[in-house]
Amino acid sequence: MSKSKKSFSFALAMLTALTLVLSACGGGSNSAESDSSSGGKDSDKPVNLIWYTIGTPQKDVDKVMAEVSKYTKEKINATVTMKMVDWGDYAQKMQVNVASGEPMDIMFTAAGGFDYVQNARKGAFMELDDLLEKYGKGIKETIDPAFLEGSKVDGHNYGIPANKELPQQEVWRFNKNLLDKYKIDTTNVRSLESIEPLLKTIKEKEPGVTPFAMDKNFVPYVPYDYVIQNLPMAVKLDTTDYKIVDILETPEMKQALTTMHKYYQAGYIAPEAATTGSTNDLMTSGNWFMDRAQTQPLADNSWSASYGYPVVSTPASDPIITNTSVQGSIMAISSNSEHPEKAMEFLNLLNTDPVLRNMVDSGIEGVHYKKVDDKHMENLPESKNYDMPSYSLGNNMLLNLNPNDPDDKWDQFKKFNASGKNSPILSFNFDSTKVATEMAAVQNVKEQFWASLMTGTVDPETYLPKAIAAFKQAGLDKVMAEAQKQLDEWRAANNK
Amino acid sequence: MAAFFKNLLKNKVMLFMVLPGAIWFFFFSYLPLVGTIVAFKQYRFSRDGFWASIFNSKWVGWDNFKFLFSTSDAYTITRNTLLYNIAFIFIGLVLSVAMAVLLSELVGKTIAKIYQTGMFLPYFLSWVIVGYFAFSFLSMDRGMLNQILGWFGAEPVQWYSDPKYWPIILIFVSLWKSVGYNSVVYLASIMGIDKSLYEAAMIDGASKWQQIRNITIPMLSPIIIIMTLLAVGRIFYADFGLFYQVPRDSGTLYSVTNVIDTYVYRGLKTTGEIGMSTAAGLYQSVVGFVLVIVSNFVVRKIDKDSALF
Repeated sequence: MSKSKKSFSFALAMLTALTLVLSACGGGSNSAESDSSSGGKDSDKPVNLIWYTIGTPQKDVDKVMAEVSKYTKEKINATVTMKMVDWGDYAQKMQVNVASGEPMDIMFTAAGGFDYVQNARKGAFMELDDLLEKYGKGIKETIDPAFLEGSKVDGHNYGIPANKELPQQEVWRFNKNLLDKYKIDTTNVRSLESIEPLLKTIKEKEPGVTPFAMDKNFVPYVPYDYVIQNLPMAVKLDTTDYKIVDILETPEMKQALTTMHKYYQAGYIAPEAATTGSTNDLMTSGNWFMDRAQTQPLADNSWSASYGYPVVSTPASDPIITNTSVQGSIMAISSNSEHPEKAMEFLNLLNTDPVLRNMVDSGIEGVHYKKVDDKHMENLPESKNYDMPSYSLGNNMLLNLNPNDPDDKWDQFKKFNASGKNSPILSFNFDSTKVATEMAAVQNVKEQFWASLMTGTVDPETYLPKAIAAFKQAGLDKVMAEAQKQLDEWRAANNK
Repeated sequence: MAAFFKNLLKNKVMLFMVLPGAIWFFFFSYLPLVGTIVAFKQYRFSRDGFWASIFNSKWVGWDNFKFLFSTSDAYTITRNTLLYNIAFIFIGLVLSVAMAVLLSELVGKTIAKIYQTGMFLPYFLSWVIVGYFAFSFLSMDRGMLNQILGWFGAEPVQWYSDPKYWPIILIFVSLWKSVGYNSVVYLASIMGIDKSLYEAAMIDGASKWQQIRNITIPMLSPIIIIMTLLAVGRIFYADFGLFYQVPRDSGTLYSVTNVIDTYVYRGLKTTGEIGMSTAAGLYQSVVGFVLVIVSNFVVRKIDKDSALF
């Protein structure tokens, strides 16, 4: 008996030891948390802010953040740790990080990244109204008010949008080499129909070139704003009655899809467009003639620079300010943040202080970049170890200019922003909780029909009625009725 | 109680060897069972961490399960999942056993090893890569199959928008990837068969075919039954990579490529409702559990010794 007890207690001891080891592994983050929380509000010990942002992790992040921390420690008595999560993983990893209560203070969110509105509603972000009032004066002064207004969810701010281009405008982009070669004039190009003769010319004379490049996310432009991106519920831009319609049943979309199918059959569109994930290799090889893209001031320059050959563009739509454009890049404070006040102070500094903003964006002066004059800068070879996406890191208008940028770059942005027209449903955010079951079904129907219809792969004469019926069967009408109800309430509350 | 400890004592070495596995199962399979509670909740984040989130979330009863059954898609995805898995299990079984028998009969051991490795290799490829392999054959304008069709003067086929070819393509690709691996399992147990049985059979004048039918297959049947029972338990789980990557997520093919896993993914990738995806997982496990119990029961009726439990 005693022997059995011994072996049993041995097994028990092993189990306990293993549990300890396991919990020690999981506990690493806990200790960090208690560490930083002991930094208290007004004590002398600087607070460490954990900042999650999107982008391919860079080698020199820690090095740059050490430098940033030195600066912020002086200014607001806080240090910064940045954790980068790669583009494709961001939404999913953040979902897990937030759900499991990983310690964090600031995180990037966007209409397309880690969905801003839905996660705000799920309680991932802290409501910022008071903090913004108290610690965010600079933000309120610098950032275009349309950004803060447009990023409200149910009347409250949950994040600080980056100051950048405000409206979204669609343009037709052209490979200028081919334009010049065939002396094609683009002055009368605007509608989807107007590009036909151009595509025809290229198809006949350049058989190796894809005349109209697109991937499976392509949607022909129609003058509507979508209630939820890429679900067929939309409101006409010049609406007066704020009626939500099924975009597939509108005459504009019908016509656009018919045209797209015509182009597809004529061979202007790549046969695999409906399953193509990206057009990157076409862009690299230059074997394309035109496509559609969203623009911003001086976009032609940056496209030309990144492709290595000239690209020009001409408008395909008016500049419209929509929820998607306003919520393109937002920094939120996590609801589990231990130091929301400091986080807000930091965001305020990041959005108003050019020294900090440029350090976060381009790295350490003299190591990653050098100043050419007081406005322009040039990347040094080391910048390959710290190559950050500018749009996701706060106020863009504080940034140093690239060597080729004109001095008035940010003035052009301001002008562009002023030219934008508000979408009628700007800052209305649909809450789909009540129709979650239908949303999942509708989403599946969308995946089934969307890409093949939008790229013109299938004939809308037969497929459009099928798609409309499938959406109805999945419960789109119920979703639309709920959205209409919320929109009407929102209208009443906002005197639209 | 005393008997229990006595038993522990008697088998202490064996039990000790099982311990790491048991601990693993406890932490990664039993502990997370608590999380299935999320399937009945509308999951909302709470600032006090995961457990607080679970307990503060609202109970919603069976609401999270509704989306699986709400539309006509429910029929399509259930049918596709079941039929494909049945096809994979049975065709896969026949092919793997056949391959194993063939390999075991090969005289040149070097040749056998080369074949074995060649068949084994696809198992280690990721579905994304397999998806691109398939694309290089099936691409409309640059695919190899359409080129070959062109030589015979046939019209190129739009493989990625014509559902009728896909049941065959999917079964073929799936088998190509898995048969090598499974045949190694069977090959290993063929190697374990007592050689004297074959010698005795040869002396009695049995042909190769008779030897295979009367010695190899019966000796393999326990492992065949175990492998099949295990596969039946996962019959409601579709291989996500196969059904998502290989057809390149082409919408026009959904009628034959949409399975439970892809349906759940597509429905929830934008809304991120954890409760609903947990519900789907729970539903799959419960059905799988029931199927294993039932098929084991059937096996027991037929042959008591072959049953799993």
